[in-house]
Amino acid sequence: MIFTGEAIYKSYGELEVLKGVSISGKSGDIHGLIGANGAGKTTLFKILLGLVTPDSGHVHFLSSGTKKVGGIIEKPALYGYLSAADNLKVFARIQHISLQKREISDTLDSVGLSQERKDPVSNFSTGMKQRLAIAIALLNNPSCLILDEPFSGLDPLGIATFGEFIRQLAQKEGLCILLSSHIIDEMSKLCTHLSVLKNGEITHSDITENLVGNFLNTYRFYGPHIKQSKVLKDFGALDEGNGMILHMEAVKMPLLFQELGKEDTVVTSMIPDLNLNELFKTVSE
Amino acid sequence: MIGLVKMESFRLLRQSRTYYALAGVVLIEVVVLLSAYYQGNEIIEILLSQLRESFYFEGTLVNGNLITYLILNSMWFHLPLILMIVVSGLLTSEYKDRTLITVMMQPVSKVRYLLSKYLVGILFSVAIVLLLLVTSLGFSYLIFGKGDLVVLLNGLNFYTQSDAFLRILLAFAAGAFSMVFYAVTSLTLAVILKDVTKTWIVCVLFIVISNVLMKIDFGSELLNNLFYFKLNQSWQFFFYPDIPWYQILMKTSLTIFYTTLVALLGLFIFKTKDID
Repeated sequence: MIFTGEAIYKSYGELEVLKGVSISGKSGDIHGLIGANGAGKTTLFKILLGLVTPDSGHVHFLSSGTKKVGGIIEKPALYGYLSAADNLKVFARIQHISLQKREISDTLDSVGLSQERKDPVSNFSTGMKQRLAIAIALLNNPSCLILDEPFSGLDPLGIATFGEFIRQLAQKEGLCILLSSHIIDEMSKLCTHLSVLKNGEITHSDITENLVGNFLNTYRFYGPHIKQSKVLKDFGALDEGNGMILHMEAVKMPLLFQELGKEDTVVTSMIPDLNLNELFKTVSE
Repeated sequence: MIGLVKMESFRLLRQSRTYYALAGVVLIEVVVLLSAYYQGNEIIEILLSQLRESFYFEGTLVNGNLITYLILNSMWFHLPLILMIVVSGLLTSEYKDRTLITVMMQPVSKVRYLLSKYLVGILFSVAIVLLLLVTSLGFSYLIFGKGDLVVLLNGLNFYTQSDAFLRILLAFAAGAFSMVFYAVTSLTLAVILKDVTKTWIVCVLFIVISNVLMKIDFGSELLNNLFYFKLNQSWQFFFYPDIPWYQILMKTSLTIFYTTLVALLGLFIFKTKDID
């Protein structure tokens, strides 16, 4: 494991924010943390990043490097009056890294930022700030990256691009990435592992496939003559718009497709409905 | 540590408020100089009406030494205020912009990081006092020329040009210690309060209360000598006919002691507090 957080407790006065949370991640993992506002995600991240001291519990990083973990909490916090290159230079120097001009350019390139931009980062878009903040988080080669709400403020295209960027970091660099987001659809696509934090406790934790399998039970079917399918009706599907909607356990899916094949029903698309939202509602209550 | 101080200085010099502060210091001088130039003794009288409790001037006194002496009086309120705003901003701006979170996620010691801010605050304070010294003497001598300085402190005191010049230099040097104390205090207040506006308000209150308490006789020799509110006046001792070196040395040493104490308090609080 790249990092392990064990039995972490944290209270603010009477309010118990974290109640014995344990979480871990290994190289190449993208571990998503889902939870409602106030569930304790940011507090957990701050504890893992060493910003907040837990009341009890342990955080351990396997890395032997100077910097074990990098991260962004809530939104990128940069020196708005400095350029991207100057921000990099400042954050590098405070951790005893002396970046040459070439290295600064390379680092900016690696996160898809143009080295030509000399203006203050206060002029940058949210996506660009996120990228610069990641470049700063990656200074000194940490083995783990913690991103709190990294998609916040990004448009759909920005979310997709940034998601792909995160995936590349995990796959190519072997980083363990722990992130939280309210955009469950993106989380289910991006993360290899999902955990659900509710009222300061991890209520579910599994590989994404399993967790999604457990909570995905609504599907939309489209195709020519789909509404005439007896099989779908027998499985309990209902008319909805241009297609049929079916509430069904994922394990029955192979049987359904077998029967649809026998019936010669052509399915042009089958869209799993975002029932992780149901999970999220359960979490939010 | 040197790297941290360099980066802190770099950021300080890249922020517009630093230059507003420098401009503020120069502006105070320019106002005094212009007023003295165009209205001569008349404006000196107006200024004296605010400072009459401590100072007395007579005759054709509008010369470079007198103007510098007047500017020196900005150490009571104006200069500490400007310094406290800028130096506390070294930290409050980091809380406001949340950059402190980004910094603390890097492998950097909290104590070293804050210590670098204290050092930069001290260097900035000394630099501002030096700027005030050089510009006030330079402009005053250039516009009003040299001359004898007359000051009323426990009686009417006349100082020749060369003597006045030396006393002014020493007064600025002693004043620098007071200014450093204010700067360090403002940074410690920033550690405690975090918020920009709250810190500014408390800084202003601190200066006002310091000035009020400085004038109060506590009826105890010990309190009058050791209480830190009484220390900011040591620069004025250089305008007594016989310079009380022992008192100046003691008060300056105490100022250094209190400055260190306040910085240590700030470092302790910062080290033990969560960053959130």
